Amino acid sequence: MTFTLYPILYTFFIGFTDLAGAGNMSPHLLTTDKGGNKPLFDNFVAVLTNANFQKAFKNTVTIWTLNFIPQMAFALLFTAWFTDRRSKVKGQGLFKILFYMPNIITAATLAILFNVLFGYPKGAVNDILLGLAKTFGVKKDLLASDPNAWKLAISYDFNNNGTALKLIVAFVQFYQWYGYTMVNLIAGVIGISPEIFEAAEIDGANRVQTFFKVTLPCIRQILLFVLVTSLIGGLNMFDVPQLYAGEKKANGAVMTLNMFVRSQGLDNRYLYNKAAAASVVMFIVIVILSSILFYILRDKDEAKLKKLRKQELKALKKGM
Amino acid sequence: MSDNAINKSSIKRNDTGLKVVIYIVSVIFAIMTLFPFVIMITNSFRSTFEIQQSTLGMVSAHPFENLAKNWNEITNKEFHPLVGFKNSFIISTLSTILNVYFSSLTAYAISAYEWKLRDAFNNMIVGIMMVPGTVTTIGFVQIVYKLGLTNKLFLFIVPAIASPMTVFFMRQYLQASLSMEIVQSARIDGAGEFRIFNQIVVPLMKPAIATQAIFGYVASWNNLFMPLILLTETEKKTIPVMVKLLNGDIYRREYGAIYLGLFVTVIPLIVVYAFLSRFIVEGVALGGVKS
Amino acid sequence: MKKVIASVLSVAMVAALAAGCTTTETTAPVQTTADNGNGGETETTAEVAPTDETEETMPQYGTGSEVINLWSFTNEIPNMVAKYIELNPDFGTKYTVKCTIIATDGGAYQTAIDSALAAGGDSAPDMYAAEAAFILKYSQGDMCQYAATYKDLGIDVDTKTKEAQIAPYTIDIGSRNGEIVALGYQATGGAMIYRASIAKDVFGTDDPAEIEKIVGAGSGNWDKYWEAAAKLKEKGYVVVSGADDMWNVCEKSATQAWLNGDQVVIAPEREAYLDIAKKLKDEGLSNDTGSWSEAWYADMADSNVFCFFGPAWLINYVMIGNCGGTAAGEGSYGDWRVCTPPVGFFWGGTWVLANKDTKVKEGVAEIIEWITLDTSDTGLQYLWANDLMGNGAKDTVASGVVMNKSDGSLPFCGGQNIFPAFIGGNANATGKAMTQYDESINGYFKDAATQYANGEIDRDAAIAQFTENVQSQFAF
Repeated sequence: MTFTLYPILYTFFIGFTDLAGAGNMSPHLLTTDKGGNKPLFDNFVAVLTNANFQKAFKNTVTIWTLNFIPQMAFALLFTAWFTDRRSKVKGQGLFKILFYMPNIITAATLAILFNVLFGYPKGAVNDILLGLAKTFGVKKDLLASDPNAWKLAISYDFNNNGTALKLIVAFVQFYQWYGYTMVNLIAGVIGISPEIFEAAEIDGANRVQTFFKVTLPCIRQILLFVLVTSLIGGLNMFDVPQLYAGEKKANGAVMTLNMFVRSQGLDNRYLYNKAAAASVVMFIVIVILSSILFYILRDKDEAKLKKLRKQELKALKKGM
Repeated sequence: MSDNAINKSSIKRNDTGLKVVIYIVSVIFAIMTLFPFVIMITNSFRSTFEIQQSTLGMVSAHPFENLAKNWNEITNKEFHPLVGFKNSFIISTLSTILNVYFSSLTAYAISAYEWKLRDAFNNMIVGIMMVPGTVTTIGFVQIVYKLGLTNKLFLFIVPAIASPMTVFFMRQYLQASLSMEIVQSARIDGAGEFRIFNQIVVPLMKPAIATQAIFGYVASWNNLFMPLILLTETEKKTIPVMVKLLNGDIYRREYGAIYLGLFVTVIPLIVVYAFLSRFIVEGVALGGVKS
Repeated sequence: MKKVIASVLSVAMVAALAAGCTTTETTAPVQTTADNGNGGETETTAEVAPTDETEETMPQYGTGSEVINLWSFTNEIPNMVAKYIELNPDFGTKYTVKCTIIATDGGAYQTAIDSALAAGGDSAPDMYAAEAAFILKYSQGDMCQYAATYKDLGIDVDTKTKEAQIAPYTIDIGSRNGEIVALGYQATGGAMIYRASIAKDVFGTDDPAEIEKIVGAGSGNWDKYWEAAAKLKEKGYVVVSGADDMWNVCEKSATQAWLNGDQVVIAPEREAYLDIAKKLKDEGLSNDTGSWSEAWYADMADSNVFCFFGPAWLINYVMIGNCGGTAAGEGSYGDWRVCTPPVGFFWGGTWVLANKDTKVKEGVAEIIEWITLDTSDTGLQYLWANDLMGNGAKDTVASGVVMNKSDGSLPFCGGQNIFPAFIGGNANATGKAMTQYDESINGYFKDAATQYANGEIDRDAAIAQFTENVQSQFAF
């Protein structure tokens, strides 16, 4: 517990200090008394008004949304397909196993592979573009007069374009995590008592009805886990964008919050205090958004039950 | 009667259509999944310069010469596969066992017992999960160096006892699938609390334990940044840390050797995964309450 | 079903593991033949070989009682230490050099060494290496207070650097307030590496002296170079592979540092890069590649690219392998020449530092002196330059004296002795206008230039974007 708690408290603490500079290990609380000239919340003000922090915030939300929606959609779809009791899909076991496999490859490896896929002016995707352009005779005259210039005119510099970078990073992120989400959901479905499904079948529910009316409500708890962890993971997104493009490419198009924090605290000026303040802001955002999820997916019956029990207890105490 | 028959045949037709879609989509995803593994394997058989010219290229003309060369390159550097595998196995196996066992226990304690501060404790666990880790790593690194605890494998094993993410999952799982009646009846039969946990709750949680064990094992095996900083002696290095050393200078990267290293690293992970995935694949019969 | 899957996977596993075994076999043929007669025993050999390794996994050299902790990010310096002990067994009986090697990945090496230096104690590094990307931090920046001056180590550094004719830029970079705390062994002054056949076709000569005139070697500007580029274009060639190739030159030739206090300063040499990148793109004077990309490597084979800018390591470790051949006439092998570039620069390099709190001053000083200042035929730099260290490369070194007496002729460059051009490169390079943040700031500037060249933003916006990014990221 100390291993977990101490560094966390440390993070919160140094957000209010002057700790900065490589190798510096002695923080001092910011103060305006006794000759100090920086208010306690100075780091937080600095971070919130930092243009790159704001950019990182927007990027993180955009990339997360772009990967989260398809990730959930496909994970749910595959869960529905592979846990359907009636149309047993042959080879579903193999598919289940395979789909998680992108998650065991490190982000570094994926970043290299996708980088060369989208390489410019030479790369698999650009090769396809060039092939198509040749077939359909795009800029024929240029091809005849200067094939080299034609090649450059057709191929696209994906890795230096902000929109392309965001989409690629979101896709790699999706590719790496949809299987993970699916496995979690499937584990949830396996935990449901088979009798519930049998009952649904006897009641004549069709597949779609069974999935939405029986399966989903039964795995609500796991769904909450998946949503909350994906939210936390998404807002902490780091490896793929960092290793694919870094925080500088295309005017920081894929610089995420965590990359901003890392580059503030572990690079350049080693501004541990600013990095810590940014982390605290991230933490607050995560808590707020997760609370909303918890509220939406709360167990209404259980909540009621709790209330009742509390009232009973109170009544009991009063009676005594 | 006839009504029913029509219904059945239409379901059947629907079925084939749906199945075709399912197979097409699944096969596409399966191919996408295999792509990086295929590249890793083929590039292990290619030379650095062949890879630099095109990473996604075909199989080389001298695959086995290249493989031998890449292997030599690997073993020339500070790459000792047996040492790396040993350390990785120790760390990943022990941390995974601690992780799933203690997380299940904690989750069970949260779900099955009423105790003071239970909700507060639960909230704290979920809260810890939400703290961004980057800055805490700095604090952690500095403490470890200050206390002279570098090169101790337990640094990566013991903290697994408290892993909020797994506890959270286990708790969510238990809330959906643990019925308190079974626990009650076991208690009436005179079973001790630990026996109830080990003999009733753990079997019930098999699918959950299997998934979390997979995730825990993979995360621990692939963990790179902290081991890179804290395990500095060769005898203590894990396999991914050793593979990183193959990177050497930016000027001088042996890509063939790097891919071979990555491939070698991922093999044990696939074996462990194949073993544990049994519990997810086996399907509905395994979990559930056998009441 | 599950049996099918299980068997498929286990077959795959066995196949994979078998592949792993074959690799071990192929590396152990010598041992197999030595095993005379035991033909069937190959597998045992394969098993035995790695076990032998485990006994001496810790890279440490020498058997002495005094311990020197050496921290590095590659095995280059540890190998040097091994060589030194081989040449001077006495050193090995007095000292044990324990080597810690940490990859530079994601700043891991820096984080580890910063923590180790700050924590101090017996396991703190006595001697450590720093790469060009972050040497300034350890020699002049945030972490410089930990570095011992070479003088304090007892090295007569002023006399020795003069005698050895150490490349001045390496001294500039390694000096803290005029006192040397770090020196390199390699010198990475750059040359222009060009194709002889293309030069002959376009300019009628491939003589380095003539080509130097044609591109305005050492002139400090690009005027003549652009004239040459236009001529190359007429014949269907491009002058360089991509704008990145010219970046290192522009960046390292700057006369003003990126920062003046909190102010971002764009030196004219660097600002010129914006126009260079734009011109290369708009006029089709390059293949528009990025360094280290597949297209860039491909341009090193027989392509339409006239020249690359780089130090000797670019030839040795990158170009030779990617030229598409291993003998004259294959690919571009043997068709390359080197000459002095229009503008001087350096690229990369490794420096060696000592901890001011080291308890083994004499030992550390002895090795550092041998690596950085010894000009004799048994000094590291001579061994390094003449490919006597098992690198498979004749690399350029910091000492002009050693360079002059070494033979740098390379069949890859048609037998040309490449060292004279690099001696010029080492002398022209400057290490004065640098900050410890250059690596990071360069990234922002290069990105802004790419956006401008690609037509995404205009020139003013590029400069504004760059300045803003640096200011927010550095929290000025």
